[in-house]
Amino acid sequence: MKILIVEDDASLREIIHRALAAEGYVVETASTFFEADSKLAGYSYDCILLDVMLPDGSGLDLLEHLRALGKRENVIIISARDSVEDKVTGLEFGADDYLPKPFHTAELLARVKSVLRRGRTAGELSINLGNVSLKPENRVVSISGKELPLLKKEYDILFYFMQRPSHVIDKAVLAEAVWGDYADDADNFQFVYAQIKNLRRKLVDAAATIEIVSVYGFGYKLVVKE
Amino acid sequence: MRLIYRIVVRLGIALFVIMSLWATMFYFAMVDEIRDETDDSLEDYSSLIITRVLAGRELPQVGDGSNNSFTLTPIDAAYAAARPHLKYEDHNFYIAEKQETEPARVLTTIFHDEQGRYYELQVATPTFEKDDLFHALLSWIVLLYLVLLLITLGVTTLIFYGNMRPLYAMLQWLDKYKPGVKPSPVPVDTQVKEFDRLGRALQGAVDRSEELVERQSQFIGNASHELQTPLAIIGNRVEWLLDEGNLTEEQAAELFKIQSTLGRAVRLNKTLLLLTKIENGKFPESTMVDVAALVEEAVEMYNEIYSSRQMQVKVDVGEGLKVEMNESLATTMVSNLIKNMYVHSAEGSSGSVRISSGRLIVENDGEQVLDGERIFDRFYQGPKSKGSMGLGLPLVAAVCRTYSLGISYQFRQGRHCFMVDFS
Repeated sequence: MKILIVEDDASLREIIHRALAAEGYVVETASTFFEADSKLAGYSYDCILLDVMLPDGSGLDLLEHLRALGKRENVIIISARDSVEDKVTGLEFGADDYLPKPFHTAELLARVKSVLRRGRTAGELSINLGNVSLKPENRVVSISGKELPLLKKEYDILFYFMQRPSHVIDKAVLAEAVWGDYADDADNFQFVYAQIKNLRRKLVDAAATIEIVSVYGFGYKLVVKE
Repeated sequence: MRLIYRIVVRLGIALFVIMSLWATMFYFAMVDEIRDETDDSLEDYSSLIITRVLAGRELPQVGDGSNNSFTLTPIDAAYAAARPHLKYEDHNFYIAEKQETEPARVLTTIFHDEQGRYYELQVATPTFEKDDLFHALLSWIVLLYLVLLLITLGVTTLIFYGNMRPLYAMLQWLDKYKPGVKPSPVPVDTQVKEFDRLGRALQGAVDRSEELVERQSQFIGNASHELQTPLAIIGNRVEWLLDEGNLTEEQAAELFKIQSTLGRAVRLNKTLLLLTKIENGKFPESTMVDVAALVEEAVEMYNEIYSSRQMQVKVDVGEGLKVEMNESLATTMVSNLIKNMYVHSAEGSSGSVRISSGRLIVENDGEQVLDGERIFDRFYQGPKSKGSMGLGLPLVAAVCRTYSLGISYQFRQGRHCFMVDFS
């Protein structure tokens, strides 16, 4: 899997590079419109992470150019402007996803995986981990082929973890992902804990081979049992 | 007051003054002219009689159909000396012929014959009645005034609207204009120089204002870009350290604290951007929004998130409420209002969210009255509360301003009461 990062900020480029490389992807980078354009002319990639604001041009122009050339690469737009216009324009030009800055590494990895999965296996979109299988399109979770009934929040939490296995997830980040803006400024994360507790119990009862472990007392991590 | 009304009223007043002056002058000129004519005829009559008296001829008969009458009285010299010899007067005069007293013009002449005998001759002719003339004139003037007024105003109105069409086109255009929404060009389809200039000036002003809005939004975009990237870098580096795994418990705790603080900075930045975007009218699309559903969802969410506070929140959405507005702004408003209630409530206290007659009312227990003037200001912190940025109510207020909704704060019977009026 080859990924091209088009991002003008060296530090951010380095972190994304490192995080993606750690996941086993082959990663190349470009810091300008020109550099990205020449790389795209010569090589093909499975996924492109595209910053909208580049010093010598707009990422959206690059996307348009790419589509004009008939290339079908998966593109995730990374934009500092969390604006509806950018999102709409980007998706109109054929971007596969849109990720506003600032984002969490875990979120970026999940989006990349999701985009690649969609591109690779048309129709077969389930996420499998251990003996647990999750089908996002109909929100069904099954363990060893047997369906596991989950409440809405429990499903959302499990889905979030399954997209980011083995990564430490901060409670606050999880709360934001599942409860949305409502969880902004929450001073107490008992409500997250309560849901995790129920989910854990259901997983254990169904003899799942994955578990959500607490890390450092502040976060969680989804691991496959040995 | 509409321009045409003002013009009509002023024209009416001006016409009234002019007509009144003209009528007065006309009246006096008329009276003068009639008197002159009468005097001339009296004079002729008088000299006819005098000539006859002096010639010793027979005097004319009274009652010859001319309505003229005369009296001839011999007088002594002293009386003659004390009186002017020619005098015109208006007074009521008994006209023997008609056997009644009528207003008349009287010419009194004193003369003497060759023997030095003095006579006083009074000749009189009935004249017009001034009151009659005055009333006749007045009613004709009033009629003329009304007819003239109607014609003038009718013609003026026609000409006015015919010529002011470009002005009204521009006004209509201005009514439709909303800052931040790309406007159509100002309509300046006119040969009239003044309107042409006005149209150009309007277009210039709108272009400049649009450019400022555009530049401001660009500035916001750039500022946000400059801030979001460093924030993303810090966050991702912290996450990297946490993911690596070989940290001591204390180090991890510190990193989580950094992440939590960073989260606040990120939210602050996002919220400020949102606030600026709302104030710049960046949410023009609107749909029918079910406020009652938003209220129910928000209360359910916050009940769960703030479950540790054990609050008793009553919800009564009554007959529901649907309003035409931007969905994400409506959500922002409702959820911030309700969140404000949860964040600023003590453990175990109670609150209520009600919808009644087009109003959303959020109440919660409180101890002291808040500064109603400043409570909607950015970063205003009343009694300090944990987990508050001081931007929730300003967001609510900004949304209310966008849609001209009334928002108010009251403190009554130990409860804070926030009310948004949608009607």
